[in-house]
Amino acid sequence: MAIAKAERLMNLALCLLGTRRPLSKRELRESIEAYLEAGSDDSFNRMFERDKDDLRELGLVIETVENLDGEVGYLARRDSNRLPPITLDAEEAAALGLAAKVWQQARLAGAASGALQKLRAAGLPEDVDPYEAHGALEPRIPVHEAAFEPLMLACRDRRPVVFDYRKASAARPEPRHVEPWALECWRGHWYLAGFDRDRGAERVFRLSRITGRVRSRGTGFTAAVPDVVTVRETVASWAGEIADGTALIRLRSGAGYPLRAKAARVRELGDGWDELEIPYGHGLDAWLVEFGPDVVVLEPAELRADVVDRLRAVAKG
Amino acid sequence: MAGKPVRPVNAIDQTRRMLSLVTYLRERPGARIADVARAFGITEDELVADLDLLPMCGTSFRGGDLLDIDTDGERIWWHNPAALGEEAAEPLRLAADEATALLVAARAVSTLPGLREGDRQALLRATAKVEAAAGEAAGASARLSVTFESEGGVFADVDRAISERRRLWIRYYSPARDEVTEREIDPIRLVSVGHTYVEAWCRRSEARRTFRLDRVAEIRILDEPSAPPEMELRDLSEALVQPAAEDPEVVVEVGPGGRWVAEYYPHDSADELPDGGLRITLRTPDPASLRRLALRLGADGRIVSPPELADSARRAAAEALAAYDTASR
Repeated sequence: MAIAKAERLMNLALCLLGTRRPLSKRELRESIEAYLEAGSDDSFNRMFERDKDDLRELGLVIETVENLDGEVGYLARRDSNRLPPITLDAEEAAALGLAAKVWQQARLAGAASGALQKLRAAGLPEDVDPYEAHGALEPRIPVHEAAFEPLMLACRDRRPVVFDYRKASAARPEPRHVEPWALECWRGHWYLAGFDRDRGAERVFRLSRITGRVRSRGTGFTAAVPDVVTVRETVASWAGEIADGTALIRLRSGAGYPLRAKAARVRELGDGWDELEIPYGHGLDAWLVEFGPDVVVLEPAELRADVVDRLRAVAKG
Repeated sequence: MAGKPVRPVNAIDQTRRMLSLVTYLRERPGARIADVARAFGITEDELVADLDLLPMCGTSFRGGDLLDIDTDGERIWWHNPAALGEEAAEPLRLAADEATALLVAARAVSTLPGLREGDRQALLRATAKVEAAAGEAAGASARLSVTFESEGGVFADVDRAISERRRLWIRYYSPARDEVTEREIDPIRLVSVGHTYVEAWCRRSEARRTFRLDRVAEIRILDEPSAPPEMELRDLSEALVQPAAEDPEVVVEVGPGGRWVAEYYPHDSADELPDGGLRITLRTPDPASLRRLALRLGADGRIVSPPELADSARRAAAEALAAYDTASR
């Protein structure tokens, strides 16, 4: 039976952690059963390189040291791999326990559990049920976008990427070359902020509009990464949350609660209609049309014309 | 406990876990399977799979020993803890992804308006300690952030009602019907997935319902005790609104400007159209509620079926236009 990969990784980790002097590739090959069974030098080499990468991915610092004969050796020094002392009380432990459960993305869920397990091994108190301690709250971070994981790694490693991106109203996706800075989740959707090389400026991308694969571009960043990356403000302006004017509408009594909730002023007209003053920003026309015959736009004329255009398009079918 | 986090079996996660497990078990001879599984947030089966693998691990080829770890099904015994040197058994530093996953989640949770102040303070203290212990590995965590949305006052009332097991009275806005209705609900739990929702037993519809907190127009905690019927908590990780197979089908065709519909509405299929648009098939218990969508789409799309829905959107638009004609006369 083939030897399980976890067994092989575990044995490599124990060898590298347990040694005081660097072990050569030859020594390691003779120390681990799965490597003895690896067959050709090529397949062993590939396996060994991948395994080292995997162990580094889960946090092991593996040093590469050349000895006097020019032979390369490997070891995981204790002082560079040891978790610094950390003492958490039961309340702090329960709070972290709740936080570690919020990811719905496999890689981050695994990493968060892994972090908690390392803290557990370091003595994190375990006698408190996080759900008991925090009542009824169950926060979840949704990640449905396939582009999330490659972009997360690219942001982490500061690697430029290229992906096909379909703008909100564009028929066809276009390739975009981006130096990815940061990812942000807002209202359940993920956005990427970065430097768009084709446009030579900062841009924000919505992950659900990335089509196809995210590919790496090996070279480093060309633009400086700003200290503060503001994704939310950009997205809020797309969403029409940033109003630059005021509109006056008539609204049927009892209808359109969300419009009333946003209104600066409501006046009862007495004939089954109210008059409302509401903030006017991008996208208001499409929203008002949703209310059909319960809304009539009075001012400004431009908004009125936009709404009438939209209604005509629907009425024509 | 509902909403179990996603945890695929993979060699990296298992290796990471076993490395922590040996450190943990070394200090606790005779540890109980149930306790260890809980401490590590895994099932007992997963733990037993680890315990099956650990005796194959060690440094026997280098003059050391294999780890002689076994279990009688209840407790775990390690017969040669010296097989793992004192040094090799120390807790390991956090990897960049581990620090990011934990810190980003902790920062997000600490911004939830409904979190109790004592818990928020504990979380902030814990976050600072983890940042310090993670050192350089914490650096990349600034490149990921999450904001939960929730209405502070409503949240606090729902949270209190759940912990005191009391019924709630709400005025709730339903966008599908553009109406505000009064309901009494027995709250079960709060869920934050982008927006924050309360899952509850709705006494008016005598069914389980999810209410979005930012649509609660008014809320009061009642004196009556909350008495939701016993029910299985669903896993809400996929989607809060799960259309049923028997729900009527709606077909919408959109142009390029209406492609966002596929991002906002859970659907069965979305097929590309030659003009860059999409033909989207979705299910909803109440197709009339999609009249809003038809109106919003304007020139960017149309309802293909059911025909009654397309008609009702056309009639609504015509009626709305009539008001403008009258007004301009």
